Amino acid sequence: MKYVLSFTVNGQPVETLAEPTASLLDILRDQLDVTSPKRGCESGDCGACTVVVDGRAVPSCLTTALTVAGSEVTTVEGLMGDGQLHPLQREFYERCAAQCGFCTSGMLMAAKALLDRNPSPTRAEIALAMSGNLCRCGAYVQVMEAIEAVAGRKCEVKAEDTRERE
Amino acid sequence: MPTAEYFAPTELRDALRLLAERGNQITILAGGTDLVPQFNCRELRPHALLYIGKLGLNYIIAKNGGLAVGSATSLEEIATNRLVFERAPVLAQAAAEMGNPTIRNVATIGGNLATASRAADMPPPLLALDAELSLVSERGERVIPIGEFFKRAHKTVRLADELLTEIRIPSVKGQTAFVRHGRRKVFSCCVASVAVRVVMDGGKCADARIVAGSMASTPVRCLGAEGILQGKHLTSELAVEAAAQAVGECKPIDDDRATAWYRRRVIKVLIERAINRASDL
Repeated sequence: MKYVLSFTVNGQPVETLAEPTASLLDILRDQLDVTSPKRGCESGDCGACTVVVDGRAVPSCLTTALTVAGSEVTTVEGLMGDGQLHPLQREFYERCAAQCGFCTSGMLMAAKALLDRNPSPTRAEIALAMSGNLCRCGAYVQVMEAIEAVAGRKCEVKAEDTRERE
Repeated sequence: MPTAEYFAPTELRDALRLLAERGNQITILAGGTDLVPQFNCRELRPHALLYIGKLGLNYIIAKNGGLAVGSATSLEEIATNRLVFERAPVLAQAAAEMGNPTIRNVATIGGNLATASRAADMPPPLLALDAELSLVSERGERVIPIGEFFKRAHKTVRLADELLTEIRIPSVKGQTAFVRHGRRKVFSCCVASVAVRVVMDGGKCADARIVAGSMASTPVRCLGAEGILQGKHLTSELAVEAAAQAVGECKPIDDDRATAWYRRRVIKVLIERAINRASDL
C-alpha cells in the first residue's frame, strides 16, 4: 500500500506517494527527481546519499521515507542561492576536492550540517563529522582543506602549496 | 510485489493496541539503520511497520540518582548528553564509538538492544551498569534486568504485544571503562568489546562487572573473571589473570569481520586494558 508523504525539500513543500519500505533516497531520486544524493551502497557504509534532515546529516538510504513526514530535507540542489555557489561548493571546486564526484554531494551535505552547528570546527571535529563519507578517489586531503577554508581555518602549509601550483 | 502497511501513532496506547491485536505481523521501526538495508535488498518484506519515533520516547531524564532513557533516543543524543556524561560515562563513550555521526543521528538505543545483534555496542555498558528495561503492553509494564533480555542472536524475551519503552540506569558505584576493537577506528562494526565496572573499598575490589560484546550470541557477563577481582587489591597481574579466565567464558564465532581465534586473542587484551583503565593502574 502506498501512503501520502508530505515534507519540504529545499524549501519547497512536496507531496508524493511512498511505500512503507521505500527509503528517503528512493523517493528523492526516483519520484522527486532530486538526484544529487547518490545511490552507493544502500547499507549506510559509504555516505554518498547523505542529506540534511531538520539540521542533521543522515544517510538517506537508511531512512524510511515516511518517517520524514513534516520534516525539512536539504540536498545539494538547495545549497545554491541566487545562482551563486555555496561557499563549500566553491571551495570544493577551487581545490579539486571532487575527482570522480560521486561522493561529493554527500560530502557537501555532511560538511554543511557540521558548519551550521559548529562554524569553526577543529581538524579533528571535521574528520569525525566526515568519517561516514568515503571517497574512492582519495580526495580526502582536498576535502578537509575545502571545509577548513570555509570554516576560516586555512591550513597554512597547504595554502602555500596551492599558491606555488598557481 | 507484496506491500506493507504503515502505522506512525502519536499516542503510546494506540501503539500498544496495535501490538495487542496484531503483534505477530508487526515489525517495529525506530531509526531503521538495521531494517532499511534489509528492505533495500529485499531480504525482509514486512507485513506492517509500526514507527515509534512519534511516541515521545526520545528523552534522557535524571531519575533516582540514575537515568531514564527513552527507547527512541538517538545514539548521538546519548553520546553528547551532559547527564549521560555525568551519570553513565561508559554508556556515552560506547555510543560515541558506534558507527559515525550520521548513523548515530538516526540509530536509537532501543533499536540497538531490540535488534539483538551479536555486535551491538549498547549491551556491554548497560549490563555493566545493571540497567533495567521496561517492556510495556496493554497488560501492563514488565521491568527486567538487561541481562535477562537477550535469548540468542536476533532473539529477545520481548513478547509480540510488548514495546521496549525505557532503559533505566540505576545509581551505581564504581569506576568504569569501555574498550572496543573494530577494523577501523571509527565507523566499523564491532569485532570485540568490553565494558568493565569496578567498585573499590579500602583499596580492595568490592564488586566488579566484566561484560564482553561480540563474543557470543548474546553479551557475556564473565562471572568467573569478576570473581577473580573480588576482594583483592587490583594489580596488572590480576587483570591478566581475570582476562585469561574471561576468554574461557566467551563463545565467539567466525564471521566476515573476524575469526573466533582472533576474537579470543583480542578480547583478552581488551579486558586487561579495561580493568587497568577502570582501576587507574
